[in-house]
Amino acid sequence: MSFAPEDRLVVARGVRLRFDPVRNCNVLLAPERVLFPCPTSVEILGRLAEPRAFRELVEGLAAEFDAPSEEIARDVEDLLADLLAQRIVRVERRPL
Amino acid sequence: MSAPAREPWREPPIGLLAELTHRCPLACPYCSNPLELTRRERELPTASWERVLEEAAELGVLQLHLSGGEPTLRSDLEAIVARARALELYSNLITAGVGVSERRLEALAEAGLDHVQLSVQDVDAEGCDRIGGFEGSLARKLAFAKAVRRLGLPLTLNAVVHRHNLDRLERFVELALELGADRLEVAHVQYYGWALANRAALMPTRSQLDRSVAVVKAARERLGDRLLIDFVVPDYYATHPKPCASGWGRAVIVVAPDGRVLPCHAAHVIPGLVFPNVEEKPLRWIWQESPAFQRFRGFDWMQEPCRSCARREIDFGGCRCQAMQLLGDPEATDPACTLSPEHARIMALAEAEAAAPPPAFRYRRLEPVPA
Ligand code: SF4
Ligand code: SF4
Repeated sequence: MSFAPEDRLVVARGVRLRFDPVRNCNVLLAPERVLFPCPTSVEILGRLAEPRAFRELVEGLAAEFDAPSEEIARDVEDLLADLLAQRIVRVERRPL
Repeated sequence: MSAPAREPWREPPIGLLAELTHRCPLACPYCSNPLELTRRERELPTASWERVLEEAAELGVLQLHLSGGEPTLRSDLEAIVARARALELYSNLITAGVGVSERRLEALAEAGLDHVQLSVQDVDAEGCDRIGGFEGSLARKLAFAKAVRRLGLPLTLNAVVHRHNLDRLERFVELALELGADRLEVAHVQYYGWALANRAALMPTRSQLDRSVAVVKAARERLGDRLLIDFVVPDYYATHPKPCASGWGRAVIVVAPDGRVLPCHAAHVIPGLVFPNVEEKPLRWIWQESPAFQRFRGFDWMQEPCRSCARREIDFGGCRCQAMQLLGDPEATDPACTLSPEHARIMALAEAEAAAPPPAFRYRRLEPVPA
């Protein structure tokens, strides 16, 4: 799965990310599901609380981690596709 | 036999199923509530539920399922939801959606409700009324679903399927799309409590089951991430049993309307277990140390073929309540498992029931009708 630069991504309705002091880790709460996200997912989901273009997300991460955008784009694409399939993240495709 | 003393269980529970009341306007013949229902006078008061939520959050519970009966019949539901939100618990309302006004729903949303799961008994108005035993139910449910979406709350449509509505499964999928649901849960009846009493009236044939598997597969392929479809197969026709409630005392706590705490909502069928009450014992002790929760943890209680089976850490030998209900022995291998020596006999029984004309429903009522 690949994303167009202007695809707008956002955390899906009914999904909440929080820190769990009992397990001492981040947890992702969704309808009938509890997931334990990896640090990269946490970073991405934190940035997608409000809708954001794929390009913008990648640029933000590239700046933060001081890495080339193309590399970041490749890394997050798979993760995003997975989050999308699980309906943790939603994409709003922009009409041309 | 007496269970040996054991170390307290340190893993935290994930979910708490709060059965706020057994009262319900519907009378589904597959209701998972016990045959002997708790009356209103014995329901826990608001303050006790609030305390239970605090204890649950401290213990590590992350999700709260507000269930029943019909949980919206509790006038203190907003207060309970608000407390859950304050404790950062994810709250899920499991409702039949027939007597809930948009105003009420709005108040629940404002209190911080996270998700709504609406049961739809059938996509056909007449069928919906007949299964739920409530006139005009479908129109009310649809209006409710629209209100949920108007308020921007995520919606799951819950379709409990059986021989009377399985042939309309495609239309359940269409309905979920029309209503803008985020998720569709297609759950074959699990045969406990009222459903077991109505098994002959509900059990699908093998070909109905096979068709439902194909319908769900096709819908998933066609819809992709537009609609998440969860599918629960009827356990009688499965090869291996389900890990009931993710294993006894491993993931879920059930609190009954009167405050008794159980590892699963059917656990009361197992004789000899004493279910502690939240009015008398701390939830932490109940979860970590009470004999009822410790009873089927680990693998020592198992018989063959489970004891030496490689799958025992996956399904924990299946469901203890089913072993009890069908074989009279809560330690036996769940007869839904093809490795159980009793499997063929139980299967033949179910298949014969499915092939015969369905008997009348025995509706779920507060006043149990003598069998
Ligand atoms: S299954 Fe039917 S009768 Fe039982 S609580 Fe749900 S709506 Fe009510
Ligand atoms: S024999 Fe027991 S452990 Fe093995 S698959 Fe069957 S129920 Fe599960």
